[in-house]
Amino acid sequence: MKLWWLWRKREKELEKEIQHHLQMAASDRKERGATFREAQAEARREFGNVGLVREVTRDVWGSRWLRDVAEDARYGTRMLLKNPGFTIVVILSLALGIGATTAMFSVVYGVLVNPYPYANSDRMVHLTVQQTRGNPLFINLNGPQLQQLRQAGSVESVAAMQGWNLTTTEGDLPEDVRAAYLTSNSFIYLGVPTLLGRGLLPSDAPEGQDPENVAVLGYQFWQRHYNGDPNIVGKKIQLVHKSYEIIGVARPRFTWGDGEVYLPLKLTADPARTYFPMTRLKPGVTRAAANAELQSLLEQFAKQTPSHFPEHFHVTLAGLNDHFVQRIGGTLYLLLAAVALLLLIGCGNVSILLLARGPARQHELAVRSALGAGRSRIVRQLLTEALMLSLGGAAIGVALANGLVKLIVDWLPEFSFPHEAAISINLPVLFFSVDLALLTGIVFGISPALRSARPDLAQVMQANTRKTTAGVRGRRTHSILIAGQIALTLLLLAGAGVAMQGFVGMMRVNLGYDPHNTMSVGIPVHDDTYTTWEARGTYFHQLLGKVSEMPEAVSVGLSTNATPPNNGWDERFEISGQPAAEEQRARLNFVSAGYFVVLRIPLLQGRIWYEDEAMHGAKLALINQALARQYFPNGGAIGSEIRVPALKGEPPLDLSAAGSDTWFQVVGIVGDARNDGLRNPIMPSVYVPYTIMMPVFTQILVRTSVPPLTVLHAVREQVHTVDSDQQSDRDVRDLDGWIKHEPEWEQGHLVATLFAGFGILALVLAATGLYSVISYTVAQRTGEFGIRMALGAMRKDVLLIVFRSAAMSVAAGVLAGVMLTISLHRVFTRWIQGSSLDALILVGVILLLVATSGLSCFIPARRASSVDPTVALRYE
Amino acid sequence: MNERYRNRIELLQGTLDLLILQTLLWGRQHGYGISQAIRANSGDLLQVDAGSLYPALHRLEKQKWICADWKISENKQEVKVYRLTAAGRKQLMRERSRWEQISDAIGGVLNPGKKESAS
Repeated sequence: MKLWWLWRKREKELEKEIQHHLQMAASDRKERGATFREAQAEARREFGNVGLVREVTRDVWGSRWLRDVAEDARYGTRMLLKNPGFTIVVILSLALGIGATTAMFSVVYGVLVNPYPYANSDRMVHLTVQQTRGNPLFINLNGPQLQQLRQAGSVESVAAMQGWNLTTTEGDLPEDVRAAYLTSNSFIYLGVPTLLGRGLLPSDAPEGQDPENVAVLGYQFWQRHYNGDPNIVGKKIQLVHKSYEIIGVARPRFTWGDGEVYLPLKLTADPARTYFPMTRLKPGVTRAAANAELQSLLEQFAKQTPSHFPEHFHVTLAGLNDHFVQRIGGTLYLLLAAVALLLLIGCGNVSILLLARGPARQHELAVRSALGAGRSRIVRQLLTEALMLSLGGAAIGVALANGLVKLIVDWLPEFSFPHEAAISINLPVLFFSVDLALLTGIVFGISPALRSARPDLAQVMQANTRKTTAGVRGRRTHSILIAGQIALTLLLLAGAGVAMQGFVGMMRVNLGYDPHNTMSVGIPVHDDTYTTWEARGTYFHQLLGKVSEMPEAVSVGLSTNATPPNNGWDERFEISGQPAAEEQRARLNFVSAGYFVVLRIPLLQGRIWYEDEAMHGAKLALINQALARQYFPNGGAIGSEIRVPALKGEPPLDLSAAGSDTWFQVVGIVGDARNDGLRNPIMPSVYVPYTIMMPVFTQILVRTSVPPLTVLHAVREQVHTVDSDQQSDRDVRDLDGWIKHEPEWEQGHLVATLFAGFGILALVLAATGLYSVISYTVAQRTGEFGIRMALGAMRKDVLLIVFRSAAMSVAAGVLAGVMLTISLHRVFTRWIQGSSLDALILVGVILLLVATSGLSCFIPARRASSVDPTVALRYE
Repeated sequence: MNERYRNRIELLQGTLDLLILQTLLWGRQHGYGISQAIRANSGDLLQVDAGSLYPALHRLEKQKWICADWKISENKQEVKVYRLTAAGRKQLMRERSRWEQISDAIGGVLNPGKKESAS
């Protein structure tokens, strides 16, 4: 800007100098007796070409290329403003492509490239083990085991975490606060400085003493609960009647364990208390070596505390992001590929428009070339215009991307990406978009530029441009571009079809329960409360009773671990008198009798237990149809006995009824309800009374006569009357909400919506491209059509000519697109879960494309056929 | 078209700079004044055209041998006047001695007899 200003100033001064020269020369001549007019003319003649003098003087200033660029830009701006329709279509085509690509790239960058702010996060691992089947399992360790892990040869350092739901005891109702108790080395381990104040330090939890009552606030909690008060450090926070001094506020990306407050953790020697370990390997230690070393260590631990480990396992340490990459990496790359296609289609559009404008500009370029502009100069001019268009597109695109990124972040499956990820249009992403813009500018600009820079002077200058029909070469380029666009659009639309089919199929799945008008309210039990089986059972029973008193409550039940569609503990079970040939596993659920009423799960045979039976810890069980079908194919399930050997509590946390690991009598069979997500087949299920196993958490299921979330406050007040310290989980949803919270639902929704959006955009872009080509050809052939019609051609003949010219390239495009889609079929079905490409989708997509193409041809074709021959001929 | 001027600049390159610097030795002058002075002092033989003069002036200014000020003329106009800088004065001396050498050398070539007898 400053340079520009300087240059303008110099330009003005030179002008003044020249004018002064001319004036002086003229006045000298006037003194010698010439008339005013003669003097003026004479002075000018002697001076020579003013423009040229200016030019050669400017050359002395240097930085000529800069001036050329500026001149090109100025000239380009004039050209683009002269054709606003063209400019708008081009810039929008590019903006859509660049915007979508930028948005997707920022998600990929945030989630997959640079997800964690922690120090040496590449060496941080999760302690996971692989069972004989199923997903990897996170292993928690108790205090003494953690100390042993610290000593392992491949391990550099270990920190540990334990999550608890606490409450602030300041408002009228206790508010739920997710606390992450961290060992006092954790802030050093994670290596992220705090935003305000300091993090936890080893001195906050001295050896052999109780930890200090200090707290570091999570960024979001600080924003929400304290409105981002900058003077918060040093103030107190009340958590479950205990006062903590706030010593710091964490940075926005420090979200370890999704903690809202971070408190110092003291490891105890109690073998029942387990903690979530965080492990950093030594530099240079391979995952395989560490797995091997930790395998023997963990086998030793498994002997000490068998209930914390699966029966057979091998250690497979996982990098922090492995889980997320596996869950969503492919999907994100697939979407990135989709937007890249969209960008390519946009570029095709721009190329088409530039080419179509080429002949019209050929005259202008020929004149420039005749005046001495070199070929490279013209190429540069055309490339400058192309780059201006692409940078303009990028600017608008980035603005669009900003909105799209927010949308995508909202739609990302909540637990399928690291919450540390900073997904936004940041500097690396901006670099990416600018590079992308430059690249696209060159890609779509270079071929028209090279073609136009070689005008056949004599021919172009002589011919009236409007009369010439595009040469064979020009038409072929157009056909290829159109066919390419159609092919890519078909691919995108087929992808959209596949994704939507998969998603719609999932939404139509038979749930087996009725999710409407029902919500689940989580009840986290405080540490050191209701520590006997009788006390906790009575407490849960009271909660149930209090909530049932509400007038809006239609039915109420307890569902400790059984809220569908993904519920129950996966446990091994035995059937009395039926030795198992192979491992038998079922989903074990702890529920009250009301559970089946609330969810409208039908009782098919037998009976449900009574509440007073539950209060006594009666060992009664219900099974679902899937279990009955698989293990009792000839009936006889009712009255049989089953047993879950691992079902045993660990006081004071998990309290179980006496004899919980002994035989249970099956008293009834209930209908199948989804228990392993929306896509997987329903697993065999066992339901036992909630009193059999009471961990520090339960959920109240309420079916209401009004939309359930409207009475949430009333439910919380009821809970409050039983125990004034009892909060409920902040994340309360109705059961429809929990369905939408399933990762496969969220992922399907994300992919289907985005793909559909991208498909529609691609269709619009391709239609615009086709429309421009046809309009352009029609305009060029107006004369020809006039002659044809004067010679007796009918309107439909002209229509046919126009359609035929487009039909070939559309057909070629469709064919190429179908082949492309079929060859990429595998990619689709692999990365879009639960989808398959069927002929119906393909046919639908082809019809949609052909219809759109027909419409884009029809409008210009009609214009051509309605030409009045006399007008067309006179027009020449 | 600009070829015409370019050739002439090259032709006059060294000498035109010398003439401009020499003209400014007598005092400040604007572009038109410089061209008139050169013309008058050469007995109307050397006519400096604007297409050579202004590039030369701007080049010398860029090399800091002359510098320019804006003044208000008698008829209330802003006029750019050039003057010699200290560096320009030195450059003038160098150019002059070079010019004298060249003219001696050329003289020698044109009149070989004289040179021989002199030696």
